[in-house]
Amino acid sequence: MNATVRLARAEFRKLFTTLAVPVTFALAAVATVGSVLIDAAVAGKAGQHPLGSAAETYQMLKFGPVVVVAMLILGILVAGGEFRHRTIVPTLLATPRRGQVFAVKIAVTALFGAVFSAVIFGLGLGTIAGVLAAHGMHTLPAAAGRMYVGTVIAGVCFGMIGVALGALTRNTFVAIIAAVGWALFVEEIALNTVAPSLEKWFPVGASIGLTNPPAPDVLAPAAAGVVLAGYAVAMLVAASRTTIRRDIG
Amino acid sequence: MSVIRVSHLTKRYGQVLAVDDLSFDVHPGKVTGFLGPNGAGKTTTLKILLGLAAPTAGSATIGGAEYRALPDPMRQVGAALDSNTFHPGRSATQHLKIIATAAGIPHRRVGEVLDQVGLAHAAGRRVGGYSLGMRQRLSLAGALLGDPGVLILDEPLNGLDPEGIRWMRGLLRSLAAEGRTVLVSSHLLTEVAQTVDEIIVLANGRLVTETTLAELAGRSSVTRARTTDAARLADVLLAAGIQVRLVDGTTVEARGTDADAVGLAAAGAGLPILELSRHDEDLETLFFDLVNTTQEVAA
Repeated sequence: MNATVRLARAEFRKLFTTLAVPVTFALAAVATVGSVLIDAAVAGKAGQHPLGSAAETYQMLKFGPVVVVAMLILGILVAGGEFRHRTIVPTLLATPRRGQVFAVKIAVTALFGAVFSAVIFGLGLGTIAGVLAAHGMHTLPAAAGRMYVGTVIAGVCFGMIGVALGALTRNTFVAIIAAVGWALFVEEIALNTVAPSLEKWFPVGASIGLTNPPAPDVLAPAAAGVVLAGYAVAMLVAASRTTIRRDIG
Repeated sequence: MSVIRVSHLTKRYGQVLAVDDLSFDVHPGKVTGFLGPNGAGKTTTLKILLGLAAPTAGSATIGGAEYRALPDPMRQVGAALDSNTFHPGRSATQHLKIIATAAGIPHRRVGEVLDQVGLAHAAGRRVGGYSLGMRQRLSLAGALLGDPGVLILDEPLNGLDPEGIRWMRGLLRSLAAEGRTVLVSSHLLTEVAQTVDEIIVLANGRLVTETTLAELAGRSSVTRARTTDAARLADVLLAAGIQVRLVDGTTVEARGTDADAVGLAAAGAGLPILELSRHDEDLETLFFDLVNTTQEVAA
């Protein structure tokens, strides 16, 4: 078995031998299903769109924030967690080629992120289908499939951004605070106030083009994917340079 | 033939010179103690040897190659740097299986090394609930996974109770007796004196001495002589290649020689001996003298 495959298997073992993945999955699943049930409960009331309408179903399908936050945190833990618990030492003693270790972490996080995001979105979609079927409705709006694919892509990209943040900061707490701070204060509040037209060019703003239905003030899905992937690649390049050169332990 | 070779190794962190032109060899079939006070540069040297840090100058090789260039490094070198390189939420078995998977080591070795270090009974427990001594044993288990010919252990006796220290001592000696190269770091000579054959002593990042324990024990002999002109006697002894210390105007202490040599040297110089005595310093005192002399010179 070659070194890359062995390393990948070890990385998957790391993912599934702590509580991070099951807890994150459970929270994401509850948030996803819960949001659908709440949306269904308030549909058609107090100015909300009626259940079964395209607008209401699109609202229900907005699982992007849950997937993005979950994958960002998991990505941070994949890299930052190794420094926090100093397991980076046995990792590098087993595989001293740091570039290879970092590349495999990225690939495993991307693959896991794709599956995780697809399962969470699928869970939400299944819940929506169940709710609609219970009311005798059996159609989904045209962009549902595109939103599914877009959410998976956003999940993968934010997983990789998380890996980069975790490796750059080598501190899971600092990385999570920085990520939440950026999303809430820089993009949501500052950019929205000062230059709202610029927000779509930043990571969270770009992800909306992937995870949400078509809208005039968001990027088209292809452009959103390129922008978000560009951020992920740039941050990973920066993180790999510091990780490969820094003294460890 | 040396297995571990450190050659003119220097490591600088900004203004701080952590390792200063250090050179030494470590040979197979022996337990070598790598000694020095906290901050002497021991761990920095070991990290460079294991590819975890880059040297500023010089080299550190194992079997003639840098660690990163070794094929299947864990099958050749086993290392335990500290007892806190585990995720607290994983069990010992999970932790070792991850390492074994990455290193291409069969998983049956996990049970074998846990048996060897006496942790089989706690293999399924989360490491977060382990005592310091148990974590030390788990760290050693990780080092033994690949059944390596070279073992590098940083302060492995920390946190062990007397029975644990005795067990570790026996294990290290048996591994060396099998022809493996065993390098053990410590900041206390007494901690490893019953375990090591050779010692390398560091202080302020510099080599203080590289010798055998037997030779060091020989240096612990101190002959005290009182005469009418201690300074002249000190000069005579120094000229004869004897390590000497001027205690005061009438007294000298000569190290690593016997009373006969001191008496004869005094007689040859026409100096009367008013008092002559010999005692053996304990190794701990000798070690502190060696290290502190180097630190004073450095200051």
